[in-house]
Amino acid sequence: MPPLGAWPSVLGMVTEDIRGEAVVRLDGVRKEYGGTTALDGVSLEIRAGEAVAVMGPSGCGKSTLLNMIAGLDRPTAGSVVVRGENVGELSEKGLALYRRRHIGMVFQFFNLIDDLSALDNVALAAQLTGTPAGQARRRALELFDELEIADRARAYPSVLSGGERQRVAVARALMNRPALLLADEPTGALDSRTGEQVMDLLLDLNQIGQTLVLVTHDERLARRCASRLVLLADGRVTGEHRLEPAA
Amino acid sequence: MRAVWRAARAAVRRRRLQTLVIGLVTLVSTGAVVIALGLVDAASAPFDRAFAEQRGPHVVASFASDAVSDAELTRAARQPGVESAAGPFRQATAELRAESADYGLGSTITVVGRPGPGGPVGRVDLWAGRWATRPGEVVVNRQSDWSADDLGRRLRLRSGPDLTIVGFAFDLSGTANAWVAPGQVTALRPTATQMLLRFEDASSADRLREGLAAVTDRLPENALTGSQSYLTLKDQIGSSARAYTPYLMAFGVLGIVVAVLIVANMVSGAVISGFRHIGVLKSLGFTPGQVLGVYLTMTGVPSLLGCALGTVLGNVVARPFFDAVFMGPASGVFHGEVGIAGWVNALALLGMPLVCVLAALAPGLRAHRLPAARAISAGGAPRAGRALGVQRRLAGARLPRSVSLGVGLPFARPGRSALTLAAVVLGVTTVTFATGLATTMTRFGDAGRDAYDVTVYATKYQDGKKILPRHDDRALHALLGSLPGASEVTARADAEARLAGTAQRVWLEGRRGDRPRLGDVLTDGRWAGRTGEVLATSAFLSRHDMKVGDRVRLEKDGRRQAFTVVGALMNNNAETVVTDWATLTRFAPREEPIAYHVKLGDGADPAAYARAARAADPGVDPVPVGPNNVTRTIVGSASVLTLMLAVVAALGVFNTAVLNTHDRRRDLGVLKSIGMTPRQVTAMTVTSMAVLGAAGSVAGVPLGMAGHHWVVPRMADAVDITLPPSMMDVWRAPALAGVALAGLAIAVLGALVPARRAARLTTAQVLRSE
Repeated sequence: MPPLGAWPSVLGMVTEDIRGEAVVRLDGVRKEYGGTTALDGVSLEIRAGEAVAVMGPSGCGKSTLLNMIAGLDRPTAGSVVVRGENVGELSEKGLALYRRRHIGMVFQFFNLIDDLSALDNVALAAQLTGTPAGQARRRALELFDELEIADRARAYPSVLSGGERQRVAVARALMNRPALLLADEPTGALDSRTGEQVMDLLLDLNQIGQTLVLVTHDERLARRCASRLVLLADGRVTGEHRLEPAA
Repeated sequence: MRAVWRAARAAVRRRRLQTLVIGLVTLVSTGAVVIALGLVDAASAPFDRAFAEQRGPHVVASFASDAVSDAELTRAARQPGVESAAGPFRQATAELRAESADYGLGSTITVVGRPGPGGPVGRVDLWAGRWATRPGEVVVNRQSDWSADDLGRRLRLRSGPDLTIVGFAFDLSGTANAWVAPGQVTALRPTATQMLLRFEDASSADRLREGLAAVTDRLPENALTGSQSYLTLKDQIGSSARAYTPYLMAFGVLGIVVAVLIVANMVSGAVISGFRHIGVLKSLGFTPGQVLGVYLTMTGVPSLLGCALGTVLGNVVARPFFDAVFMGPASGVFHGEVGIAGWVNALALLGMPLVCVLAALAPGLRAHRLPAARAISAGGAPRAGRALGVQRRLAGARLPRSVSLGVGLPFARPGRSALTLAAVVLGVTTVTFATGLATTMTRFGDAGRDAYDVTVYATKYQDGKKILPRHDDRALHALLGSLPGASEVTARADAEARLAGTAQRVWLEGRRGDRPRLGDVLTDGRWAGRTGEVLATSAFLSRHDMKVGDRVRLEKDGRRQAFTVVGALMNNNAETVVTDWATLTRFAPREEPIAYHVKLGDGADPAAYARAARAADPGVDPVPVGPNNVTRTIVGSASVLTLMLAVVAALGVFNTAVLNTHDRRRDLGVLKSIGMTPRQVTAMTVTSMAVLGAAGSVAGVPLGMAGHHWVVPRMADAVDITLPPSMMDVWRAPALAGVALAGLAIAVLGALVPARRAARLTTAQVLRSE
């Protein structure tokens, strides 16, 4: 892992003056799909610099909760407010701009675009905001350096290992310096050794101030990376625990 | 079997849009194929069909009545090789008094004595009134798109009894101008006997000559006085239909190719995009054969339905369309006769589903061979690793990223893109070709149309009586020029003459007044400047194998005169030469104008002028210039066909965009998750098709121009017209830019709905389902 002190300049993490401020506030969020209730009155607050792990059995609403925060889906009732913006009230364009400005997402199955090289996958996130290609690629290369995959920048997703793909996905998520990094089962598709590396990466990111929300089945991951554990069952928050910092 | 059916039904339910698209595209494409094939069929053989319906004679033979008996002719017609015969019929030549033109007849007509319109050969179509059965009755040969309002009027012969018109019949073979009862014809002093012969082998002029030689072999040497082969007739009558043929063929072939391409693209795309589903079915225990069955059923049922409904649609649309296309005076012979042939319907009903099955079979067999796991992983997105270089270069391009991503998308599915591109190319070719054709036809139709606004005929018929003008020629000319609104008056006289030494009629047309050139378009040479000079129509020169500079000798009333052809006119009247007034009056001193062409001043109303002319002299018949039906028909039909093919091409793009967005649902979800706005998604999807549209324009515009340069001169040639360069030179930068936009328009219109649908995709659902 690189020395932590080098990261903030590249990654542009939250600064101390807003650390501790509430970044996400969910209030009575309910989500229904047809006759099925995925979330049932969830209220939750996440502060800047926090690392929150959401755990629970399959189908309990973990991913739905993450999608609500990411603005990928809208609540049926209640409100999701992120850095003062009520996500549920945003238009489709507003949601897209919201995701650009505030959200970085890491998926279980990486979700890289197969036709684009690793570098272009990462640069794409900045290019969509209008950043010129050269500038976007330069910043992407810096991220590749920091994540120790610079030698794989020109490779295509199909030739990358699982761990490399997930690092590329993390780089893409960090490209626009998001306020929130959301990770949905980020180690779920990786072997244990690669999973460990990704855990380290997330931990390091949080330690330099990146607010992190991760959804996982893996208690080890939660305990290692998160400072707070939120338990979900049947779409409701059934418990919250402070976690000891990782050794 | 039940499992296959249930799985196919479930798949159809799950892919309602795709099923709808398959049905819709096959419906429109099959409709287009039916109309296109119908056009090709109708344009290639209208004469043959009408001729077969009338059992027309392969040879119409005339025999000298005093040289051969009826019995001998009847025996001769039983020779081997003669399939059937009609006759002998007595045939007379009669001269009509002045009103002959009223009935569409010349001054000399052939009258045949015939007991009825039917018979084994030469069945004429009695379309109004009844057959002549009593003395003093006559049936006139007239096409059915004329009116029958002359029934009951009398034909007055110079030598012989007056005849009352009791019926109108149409005989494609032109065996007579009029028919009377066999008993009546003797009063007309017949000199010939007519036999109508059909031969077993009528495939060539040589075969017909041999057949006729066999018939006349045992007859007296000079018995046969004349004969006409149906091949000559076909050539003459078919010339007008031939004008349409290259144009209709071009549209027909384009229509068929576009429709087949799009159907093949759509069905194969549907199967490829279902690979993952195929893998799942296999993993559930479906045999490869059953899986193939599911996919063939899934695409086959909506295709079959689309084909069946498309065939019905094609037939419904074709009827009024063909009536319009075959309405011009040139093709009036076939008006109402042309429809969709049975074989066209059969081919569409069997052929289009076959195209669908074959298109589904190729990728289906690939899926059939694939192991389940690979089929699952091959489904959905295109194979990774395609066109990566293109994407890499585009990623660094100075374009908005949504646009550069869109530009690269067609390269990911090269086969599908190539088929779509081919459809767009053909769509643009059609638009370009049709635009050029319409411009040429409009220029052709408008040529000289501003030369005059009203034609005032110098005779008029009222209640069967001929009324002459009250004013003499010069006074009438002056009167017409003095009426309100008149600006120019040009008198026209037609002197009927014969080409010296032949029986071929020639009209020498002379003009006098303000605009002696009227609306004629000169294609070669110059205008007549000296007495004795004439201009010939291109058709006249072609028929008589002459050229500018040659001498033409005419005879009239026993006098002969030679004229020098100094120019060629764009005109398909093969009997006309044009000259100045002095040359005309020197050749035919007593000739009087038959009409005065009046050009009105700006803003003057032709109808008001016509009323004023009628009031000034009740003996004149003023007729304002009407619309040009031939041009209108061709331009109208070209517009309909172009629109139809453009819609089919746009549907092809629509289908490709639907398949691409379906294949790339996951990518779209990812892009939206990292902040791509709906507008950027729309821009990306539309750009991906606009690239094909632009490429289609680049290829299609030159192809369309080449088609125009190939087809239009052939259309003109078929009717013996030489088009001046000004009518062929229709392409200017604005026109080219306009047609180039056609490809983009087709692509953007086709892509817009799927693009907006892609923009509305719910990201969370897409990513979850992946």
